[in-house]
This record gives sequence, C-alpha cells and structure tokens, in this order.
Amino acid sequence: MKLKGQHNFKATPAILWEKLMDPDTLARVTPGVSRLERKGDDQFEAIADVKLGPVKGSFTGELSVLEKKEPESFTLNIQQKSKIGNVSADVHIHLKPLSDEETEMSFDGKAKLSGLLARTGQRVLSGVANTLTKQFFSAMEEEVGNNPT
Amino acid sequence: MTYIGKSVKRVEDVRFLTGKGRYTDDIKLPGMTHAYIIRSPYAHAKIKSIDTSAAEAMDGVVAVFTGKDVAGVNGVPCGWQVNFKNGDTMKEPPHPLLVADVVKHVGDNVAMVIAESKEIAKDAAELVDIDYEELDAVADAAKAVKDGAPLVHPDAPKNMCFDWELGNPKEEVDAAMESAHHITKLEFINQRVIPNAIEPRAAIGHYESAGDKHTLYTTSQNPHLTRLLMSAFVLGIPEHRVRVVAPDVGGGFGSKIFHYAEEALVTWASRQLNRPVKWTAERSESFMTDAHGRDHVSTAEMGFDAEGNVVGLRVKTLANLGAYLSTFAPCVPTWLHGTLLQGLYTTPKINVDVTGVFTHTTPVDAYRGAGRPEATYLLERLMDTAALEMKMDPAELRLKNFIPAFDGVEQEGYMTQVALQYDSGNYHKVLERALEMVGYEDFRKEQAAARENGKLLGIGFSTYIEACGIAPSAVVGALGARAGLYEVGQVRVQPTGKVSVYTGAHSHGQGHETTFAQVVADKLGIALDDVEIVHGDSESVAFGMGTYGSRSLAVGGSAIVKSIEKIIEKGTKIAAHKLEAAEGDIEFSEGKFTVKGTDKSIGFGDVALTAYVPHDYPAGLEPGLDFSSFYDPANFTYPFGAHIAVVEVDKDTGKVSLKRFIAVDDVGNVINPMIVDGQIHGGLAQGIGQAMFEGAIYDEDGQLINGSYMDYTMPRADDLPSFEIDRTVTPCPHNPLGVKGAGEAGAIGSTPAVVNAVMDALSPFGIKDIEMPLTPERVWRAMQ
Repeated sequence: MKLKGQHNFKATPAILWEKLMDPDTLARVTPGVSRLERKGDDQFEAIADVKLGPVKGSFTGELSVLEKKEPESFTLNIQQKSKIGNVSADVHIHLKPLSDEETEMSFDGKAKLSGLLARTGQRVLSGVANTLTKQFFSAMEEEVGNNPT
Repeated sequence: MTYIGKSVKRVEDVRFLTGKGRYTDDIKLPGMTHAYIIRSPYAHAKIKSIDTSAAEAMDGVVAVFTGKDVAGVNGVPCGWQVNFKNGDTMKEPPHPLLVADVVKHVGDNVAMVIAESKEIAKDAAELVDIDYEELDAVADAAKAVKDGAPLVHPDAPKNMCFDWELGNPKEEVDAAMESAHHITKLEFINQRVIPNAIEPRAAIGHYESAGDKHTLYTTSQNPHLTRLLMSAFVLGIPEHRVRVVAPDVGGGFGSKIFHYAEEALVTWASRQLNRPVKWTAERSESFMTDAHGRDHVSTAEMGFDAEGNVVGLRVKTLANLGAYLSTFAPCVPTWLHGTLLQGLYTTPKINVDVTGVFTHTTPVDAYRGAGRPEATYLLERLMDTAALEMKMDPAELRLKNFIPAFDGVEQEGYMTQVALQYDSGNYHKVLERALEMVGYEDFRKEQAAARENGKLLGIGFSTYIEACGIAPSAVVGALGARAGLYEVGQVRVQPTGKVSVYTGAHSHGQGHETTFAQVVADKLGIALDDVEIVHGDSESVAFGMGTYGSRSLAVGGSAIVKSIEKIIEKGTKIAAHKLEAAEGDIEFSEGKFTVKGTDKSIGFGDVALTAYVPHDYPAGLEPGLDFSSFYDPANFTYPFGAHIAVVEVDKDTGKVSLKRFIAVDDVGNVINPMIVDGQIHGGLAQGIGQAMFEGAIYDEDGQLINGSYMDYTMPRADDLPSFEIDRTVTPCPHNPLGVKGAGEAGAIGSTPAVVNAVMDALSPFGIKDIEMPLTPERVWRAMQ
C-alpha cells in the first residue's frame, strides 16, 4: 500500500524537526499511538491501537529513524506486529521551507501488510489512511501552536 | 419403470433439512482434543525461529508440533504426472505437512497446537513466537516465468513445473493459420476463483492402540483415495490399519477431492498422543487453504476461411499451479483442458501449448469443470468475437462449424485433433432449441429498438462439450494418472429381500442416495424404501475412486448395474430350481421370476430368502445373494449443450443485469430430472459467479487481499434470473444406463455466455474484451 501526504505549516523546518524527533509529541499527534518510548538514539518502541473497518488490533513494535538529514529529511522504518497481522513500512519525510515562516511537510512511502489485516482490511484501507493522515497533520498544527485549518 | 425418469424427492433431504445430518465436525469422540493450525502470514519467508514454550506451558495445551517434529514424515504427494516436452519428469517439490524452513504461500502450515478445547488451542497459538524473514514473492504466473522472478522452489528454474503440448504439429497449425482469411486473437485471464463449499474442511484422527487402528473422519469426496495416498505415501501405515470415513459432506466442487496435509497431521498426531484430534477450518482458512480453481493466462487465436469455416486454432496458456502440487493439479490445465479444445467444431488443425507455473499462492486444482470451463471460455469467447469481427451472426457461425450428428452406434464416435474420441452428439439440436426458447429473431429487433432508446441490451452464446464419466483406467494411465479411475458397486440382498448398496462414489450434495436407489429399485422391481445406499466409509465399501468429473452415475452407477445383473443371474438359477423349470425359461421382470408363458412365478423376496436359507436349493450353487463389481468405462462420456445469456448494461453505472439465462443441455439419459435440474442450476450459478462477481486477488507481496465474505463476492439469488432450462437426450452408447453426467455442465457453459452477452451489449463502444469478473467498475471504465 502506498502512503502519501503533504501539508503546509506556519513554522520553520527546525521547529517541525524538533517536534518530529520528540517521542512524546509524536505519541500525541500520531493517531492510534498510545505509547512511544525511546530505546536508543534513533529507535523507539511503539504501542498503537488501530481500527480498520471491521478489523481492530493492538500493535507493538519498533520505529527507527534512518537517513537523518537535519532539518530537511529522514526515513521512518516501522515494524509492527499484532494478532491480526504485521505491518512493515518505510516512510520518507521531507521538510521544505516555502518562505521564512512556512514549511511544507510531505511524506511518501510503502506499507506491507500481512495476515488478517491484509485479507480483510484492504478495501477500506486507503480511506482509513487518508483519515489518519488528516488527523496527524491537524494534531501537528496544534503542537506548533497554530489553529487547525 | 416405476422410478427411473421420475423426479423422486431426495430421500437424504429429510435428514439435512431437519438438522439430522452427520458432518465431520458433528462427531465427538471420548477424550477428543482440538487442533489449531498456525499459518504463515507471509507469501514467502524464511522461518528464523519458533518458540513454542509459552504455548506449551499454558493450561489445557496438550502439545505443540512444528516442522521439526514431522521431519520424519513424508509430505503430501501428487497423483498425476505430466512431463516436460523434452521428456523430463515434471518438477515435483516436496509439500511438507508443517513447514520447517521456508514458507511458500499465505496460509502455509507452520505449527499445530493441540489442546483440550478449540478456544484454548487458538489462544495458545497466539503465544507461539515465530520470527520470519520476509522474502520477495511472486503471485502472478506471467511474472513468475520472467527472468529474475523470485523462485518458489530453488530446483524449478523460471518457476516452471512442466511445459506440455497437444494436437497437430505446430508447423501444420501455423501453416493453417497463415492460409486463414481472418484470424481472431484474444489474450485473457481466466481468473482464480475460491471454491467456497458451505461446509469448511474438517478432519478427526482417531488412533486406537488396541488393534493398532487409525481412523480418519474427513470432509472428502473420495475417502478411499485419501486412505491410499495418506497410508502408503505420507504416513507409511499399512492400508489395512487405516480406515477413512467421509460422512455427510456439505459440498466440495472439487476442493475436497485432494488429500490435504491436515488429514495426515491429525492422524499422525492422534497416534503420538493416543487421543483423538479434531481440526475444523475456520472460513478464513478455507479461503487461504482450500485448493483454488482456474487461474490461466492464455493467448488464443482462431483462423477462419472466407466463408467462416474454422481452419485452425492456436492456444498458449500459462497455468498458475500455486506453491505446491495439489493431488490432481498437473492434469487440470493439460489433459482436462487441452483435450477439450476441439469443442463442438470441425476445426482441422489445433495446437495447444501449456506451461505449469509455481507461484507463492495457494495451490490450484480441480474446481467444478476443472480445465473444461477454461477451454470452453476460450473457444466460445473466440467464436462470438470472430462473429463480430467478420460481421456474421454468432449462432450461424457456430451452426456452420458444428460436427454433424453421430450416435456412436450406427455412426462412429468423432475423433478429435486433441486425443479424444467423442461418444455421441447432436449439437445442432441443442443450439436450435435454445434459439427457439430465447426467441432469437425477435430479440435482435428488441435489441435494436432498445439501442435507439439508449439502452444497452446484449445476447451471448456458448456451446460446450465436456469429457465426463472420468475415466477409462488404461487411457488415464497413459496420460499420467497414478490411479485407476474405475468404480466399485456392491449389491447385497438381505435375507428378507431388502437391499444394501455399497458404492465407491461419494455424495456431498449430488443426491446419490436417491438417484442410485431409483436405479436399483427399478432394476430389481422392489420399492425405493427397500434400498439403502451406503457410501463414504472405507471399512464398509470395498474400494472406490469417489466423486468428481461428473462420474458418479456414469461409472459408479454402471458398477452397481453390473452387480444387479449378477444378482438376477443367480436369482434365475434359484428360481428355476424352485419352479422346476429350465433356467433358460425363466424371465425376470417387476420383481418376479416367471416361467415364460405360464403364470408360475416366484417373487424376488422369496428367492432372496431361499439364497440365505438354502434348504431346497440348486446343487453346487453357493448360498447368499451378494455381488460386487468393478466397472472400468470404455471411454469418457461427452455431455454438451447450448447456453444463451441476455443482459442489460446500465450506461451510467456499468452494472450488468442478467435478464434471462437459457440452458439446453444434453447429459444423456436422465434418472431423476429434478436432481439434474438442481445440478444444472447450481452449476449455472457458479459459472455466472465467475463471470460477474468472483475472483481471488493477490497483491504484489502475495497477500490474498479478499479472503473473507466481506471482500469476496459470491453470487446471490437476487443476482440471478429464473433459469429457463431444457434438455435433449443423446444416450451414451458405452455405459449400461446411457447416462453422461450433469454435475459440471452448468459451470462449464455459462461463464462465456454471460461475458459474450456483455460484449454484445457494449459493441456500440467497440469494446472487445473486459477481464472477468465483470464488475460495474470494470464495465464502466471500459465504456469511458
């Protein structure tokens, strides 16, 4: 499954970068994530609850930040396991300054699903992914102190 | 005839409709344990480690078995061999009961948890920690044969299992095609479908140390074949120590022919644990692990002369076999597909080339029609497309090319270019009757008027032939079958004249208990109630090959008839003695042995009693009245028919509505018309299902993404019109009942009729082909 999204923030890349690298902020803004703990420099343990149409599952696993180029881009590697199937994804995140106070955040990646998740959820998946993306950007807006648009 | 030819109500329905059926999952044995199979979530992955300790420590867990535990047990064998063109044996990789190293499809068996209850087994399965390393996978046959594609089995280069050719030499066919005035070429996918029997697969292994006996209860269409494969090839247990029982079985459509790993696993585990072990599939396991059907990618070309006579046919097919070879997998795209490409036509030159391909998907095997629907789809799509391209009428084009009528008695059977000799046929008659039923001339006028009003009406044709009554042992042996395909029928007359019949055919919805009883009751002149049909237990039925390929009545029924003949012959000797007449003067009819030309007679019941109480008895004659026969057919049987679909396509949404469906089938003589109608109806629904709704979808990682009823569309009653069906009767000349078989006809003929009708409706748009299933989205996109 392809993952893609973009949003413009009234903030500098440096501010956004700082938020993205902070596990507490990320746990707050990422839909479904209930806990995010730092395990190493660029490694986090995550617990998430996700509902995909008829399929609901509690995921545990690791997030790793790779290919860091502060403050413009990094790759997030996601490995999550659950009783309803596993998710593995690589997501490339870009921060592009549009002006002194505006930055475009975009992401682009691919997720692989297996198990029950793959068999029963796919039909509703892209819709769910869009909703989650919107929730993420709108929560991020609040974090950087803007009114959600 | 009191019963033959009558729509006797099915005797088995009383028990099915009142909840008294006895299916495998209904069986509860003392001390029984429950198994849950842990299956691979990946299409292709290396098992790095398996930790079963937490599961084993759980209360109520009896055992957890993994691939290592069954390392000494053989895998599941394949029952048919097809060789490469160069003579090399097909690639036949091992198919382990539990995978120890590399899983090869989603749903592949990895571990088996056995517990005191199914719930405990399932909970414990979640505690088994399996570490996989995911590998690249390939699900699509066309991609699997490309250089660099991930290999399913390292010793099968390019994922090829075999390549195979049949018919006239390629050069001859190429020359015929070059001389053609017109060539119609289509490239299409006959998509993978999932069988969806209403009863999921189930198996119970029951080892009894007293007697060293292994009993397997299983959802099988052929318990004896399962016993043979499992005892001799997998577990290495002497056959007489194994009993296989297939009690009531709720539908199979081919998917329950095959010997599955779970059957061997529960039998093996029961011996290890000395307790019965039951496994019942959940519906999602059925989607993932019941052998799938179809999945061919074909290029087909048909050449015509200027008058529209077919001059040649060239077919190239890639057949997706899945990750392992299921029991009859290699036979389906070859000997059950290539041999049917003559169709009903006099095509003088035919060449078919098939490559069997491994992919990281569920194994593919016979599914209602098995190869013959794929052949029919190809021929009949070509016919309607050619008619459109050559501006000819599709019905006329067929009538022009049909093989002339032959009865197989006065006129010889028709020898095809692709190895078969048809038994008897009258092909013009079925199509003419179907045209009459649909009111063809009026329809074309209605269609033209509808088009002017912006409505898209279409009509589609399909005329098919199938090879049924599977099969003459010598023939199939030469073609690679590793079994004989005769049938066994034992008729045991009880002392009171009641009759028990033991058949090696197996009923899982076909109504054998009624149809077979009708034959026996009429032949012996007794009441239907006095006949019991016993099947499905290797301990009571001497032997058998089971039910598939529309064979039960043609082969199994014939075996019973042979035994009845022996009963009557012996009864005649007993009657002659009792009536003090010469044997040659005795005739048997309507349940009575009579001295010709007199009113001296003795009833069947009295003869039976005399046979078991032989006080006044012919010298030298053995007591008893019980005969068994093996019947090996002389040829396949060849049912045929003409199907016509009428559809309307919604211009705005692309939704196809099936307005009418006409089916005229010739299945030879008919014993129970109602049961045959039911078989035709069911087959039509399945064939229409493939055309309009069904299709397994794998993503590029090899995940089956529509493995549930929320995502996989089955045809529903409100999708189907009231079928208009009729029959012609061209008896089979080589079996005693003159029957040809009716189980698969509906599914073979209907699919192309529907697709042809949609293409006819869409002809104003210049659309020639849309990939099945014809969902509103696909049809709408094609129109844009």
